[in-house]
Amino acid sequence: MANTQAVCDSFRVDLLNGTHAFGAQGANGTRTVTTKDVFKAALYLASATINRSTTGYSATGEVSGTGYTAGGVTVTNATAPANTGGTGIIAFWTPSASFAWTTVTLSTAFDAVLLYNSSNTATASVAVFTFGSQTVTAGNFTLTMPTNDLTTGLIRIS
Amino acid sequence: MSQVHTTKGLIDRDRLVARDIVSEEDNARVVATEWHLDGELVRRDVAVSILRGHALCGEQAEI
Repeated sequence: MANTQAVCDSFRVDLLNGTHAFGAQGANGTRTVTTKDVFKAALYLASATINRSTTGYSATGEVSGTGYTAGGVTVTNATAPANTGGTGIIAFWTPSASFAWTTVTLSTAFDAVLLYNSSNTATASVAVFTFGSQTVTAGNFTLTMPTNDLTTGLIRIS
Repeated sequence: MSQVHTTKGLIDRDRLVARDIVSEEDNARVVATEWHLDGELVRRDVAVSILRGHALCGEQAEI
């Protein structure tokens, strides 16, 4: 088994269904909700299998250890999606802060993070990122985001 | 004097030997910092920088 980084297939359909609001959801004649959704990031063991086929968060294969809470951390999302800096045909979004776990011990090797929408009752998945097998001992684990622009933003649509 | 949280509790920084291990993955740069006390690993931090996000690409001409 292995984890493979990708945008999740279900995310594409979910976008068309209006499942995700990375910024304030636009009001329309049917929906009145204008808040953005809550996204979370969960870590997965190197022995797990999360990939493009992952449809939502699952505790199966998730890391466990001192200081780690199942479900992962809430993503800081202070910057709305944009399409600036180019021709405007590429939209991009990146969390506005690193994903951080402080003073944790994660003794079993892990190599992936699942970004998912925790506002959605089915915890709709967004994407998987891998980073090589890691362990943490009484320390910090930090995932620093790429530059939020049209060439490196965490999620880009063109 | 600064102290560092370890498996042995808070230890004075100057008693610890820290070593950075840098590796490059497909889409990430990883820096692991290992802290040793008398040769024993007592703390390990990992900092991952995701280099580039994922892109969903379509053909604008088809829209």
